[in-house]
Amino acid sequence: MRKWLLLAASAVVALTACGGGGGGGGNFDATKVSGTVVLSGWQASPEEGQALQAAISGFQTKYPNVKVDYQPISGDYPTSMVAKFSAHQPPDVFYVDSGVAPDWIQQGVLQPLDDWASSRGFDTTQFYPGYLNAFKGTDGKTYGYPKDGNTLAMAYNTDMLTAAGVQPPTTYDEMTSVGAAMKAKGQIAYSLSPSLDRILAFIYGDGGALLSADKKSDAIGQPGFKEALTFYLNLFKQGYAKTPSQLGVDWNGKALGEKKAAIIFEGGWLDSYMKGTFPNVNYKWVEMPKGSAGKSTLGFTVSYSIGKDSPHKDAAWLLLTYLTGKDGMTLWTQGGVANPSRKDVPAPAGKDVLVSSASFAHPWSFIPGFSKVNDAFNNAFTAALQGSGSVDDIISKTKAALDQQLSAP
Amino acid sequence: MALAIFKGRGSLGTERAQEAFAGYAFIAIPLVLFLIFNIGSLFYSAYISLWRWGILGPTAFVGIHNYQVILKDEVFHTAIKNSIYYTVLVVPIQVALGLALAVTVNQIWRGRTFFRASFYFPSIASSAAITVLFIYIMSADGLFNHLLQQIGINPLTFHNQGDWLGHQDTAMNSVLGLNAWTTSGTMMLFYLGQLQSIPTEVYEAARVDGAGPWTAFWRITFPLLRPAHYLVLTTSVIGALQMFDQAFIVGSPDGNPNYSLMTMVLYLYNATFRQFQFGYASSVGIVLFVIIFTATLIQRRFFGTADWAAAR
Repeated sequence: MRKWLLLAASAVVALTACGGGGGGGGNFDATKVSGTVVLSGWQASPEEGQALQAAISGFQTKYPNVKVDYQPISGDYPTSMVAKFSAHQPPDVFYVDSGVAPDWIQQGVLQPLDDWASSRGFDTTQFYPGYLNAFKGTDGKTYGYPKDGNTLAMAYNTDMLTAAGVQPPTTYDEMTSVGAAMKAKGQIAYSLSPSLDRILAFIYGDGGALLSADKKSDAIGQPGFKEALTFYLNLFKQGYAKTPSQLGVDWNGKALGEKKAAIIFEGGWLDSYMKGTFPNVNYKWVEMPKGSAGKSTLGFTVSYSIGKDSPHKDAAWLLLTYLTGKDGMTLWTQGGVANPSRKDVPAPAGKDVLVSSASFAHPWSFIPGFSKVNDAFNNAFTAALQGSGSVDDIISKTKAALDQQLSAP
Repeated sequence: MALAIFKGRGSLGTERAQEAFAGYAFIAIPLVLFLIFNIGSLFYSAYISLWRWGILGPTAFVGIHNYQVILKDEVFHTAIKNSIYYTVLVVPIQVALGLALAVTVNQIWRGRTFFRASFYFPSIASSAAITVLFIYIMSADGLFNHLLQQIGINPLTFHNQGDWLGHQDTAMNSVLGLNAWTTSGTMMLFYLGQLQSIPTEVYEAARVDGAGPWTAFWRITFPLLRPAHYLVLTTSVIGALQMFDQAFIVGSPDGNPNYSLMTMVLYLYNATFRQFQFGYASSVGIVLFVIIFTATLIQRRFFGTADWAAAR
């Protein structure tokens, strides 16, 4: 009798641990979950707000017992979120940029999701790995699911290339020849950002990398890194490319719109800008040119994650999996402001290249403290561009910053 | 309690003690807030600086390790150099400009309010808005280069090819010029207040003795402005050493081009809100405090205190 009582008590404890505040999942019943979930993120445009409201409405229809309290954060998002994390009062579901994800994962403010995904039957195989992997910690666990994704692709001014009598380049060698042909006609072929978040796509294309696959050591010395860097820097030195700053604009999109350069490497955010600011400029998207190692691009994404201190984890899980599931993401991306991060959600009109490029994209997500590495690279590259440094200097400074972060306790 | 103290000293009568008590009672709330959020946070920051401290709090006691890392970090060295370079150049320029504007406005009778407001406007306008406008003006395709072309100077022939804010050799100097202009209005107000307290009889006596305007300025005005000099220089140096927003907006958080816009406070911001190392960031804050405090003590040594009463 006593044995049975002990077993019964154990079962009660186990069930209690699984329910309410957010444990596991064998007995998870979505229809019995209720309450209010606070959803936070930044909002880039009114259109984005409308698209999200459409997705939230879809969620409310499916789960009428769970109310969504949408609280967009204006201003400096990481700063606001840090204050909320510190106070142990984060929103239940919120955006996490892939660039900052490793830091927040390391700081222990995000809820790991793998156990719930397996016990509650959420299929993550439909996410493009280039996006999903951005939210994996060094422990191999997943701390967010990508709400959408953007890749870098090549946008070119069709009229300018036609007038110059050249085809859009498909390889790095062709990039050089197109640059030379346009220079001969007195035009600048490329507006290129002097920053790692563009150059790294070319480094991957030549077979180089920043980090080893397990992200535990640097891979800067491997073949491809120096070659791609030299190629990119030479485009400037040969007069085929200029930075947006040198062209007198604040970003590459404006250089394309003002026809100061014919080709740029950007993501889907360009479309709404061009539509609103330069509706009469004809441009087209094609995949990034191939390097010696094949196709490559960078994947930028933002997840929906759940706060470790969220008081409504079951309801948060429902919202998270709806918004990153097929139905929610379809509603969200139909708004035309974002591209799907799932293979089973159709690409919005005109976004085929940007969506299909996700299949060979490398995530823009590295290790905690990566902003120091990024800054070291960007500043060293600018120095080399302005004649006070070399490719070797860029490599040595980036490697030093990377090794410092890798060895940080 | 304050009442008890004053009664105990015996030097104050009951009436004065009550008056003093009332005075302390009036400032009690702001004083407590000041002690908690200014003085208290200073000590708390010093405490945090001895820890590895993340978003959710302390993770390990590291002693002076954070300070050792700072001393070895080349980027922080660059940030200190940049901040000192900026301070050494911008302070004399904005002080001289502020003084010149104050003396000019002080001598204008018609439209004084208009000119005073005009000169002061950049100081109260949003620095972010002014910086964004400045970026447009100074961009390679901006107004400044167009004006240069109008007077026959081709910006492309310069070392920076007309990219004033994007080139490592000119970015900081450009921001310096911007801030000298925007801050000079505040300096003007400080000087104007002091200028108006100088009695006109002194100038009349000097004129009788045959002193010209230039002599009167250097022998009368400038020395009698000494309390204002101290105030202006101290606030200028503190403000300059804390320069952040313009560097952040012009150069982005990474301090580009080539760390030429990396200032001490921008470095601190990065450690806090991009690297989330609050212990390390606190140690940066303490180093910044020591530098500013030392600079203020040196100024106090050379320019004395802001003894307004003595000047009057």
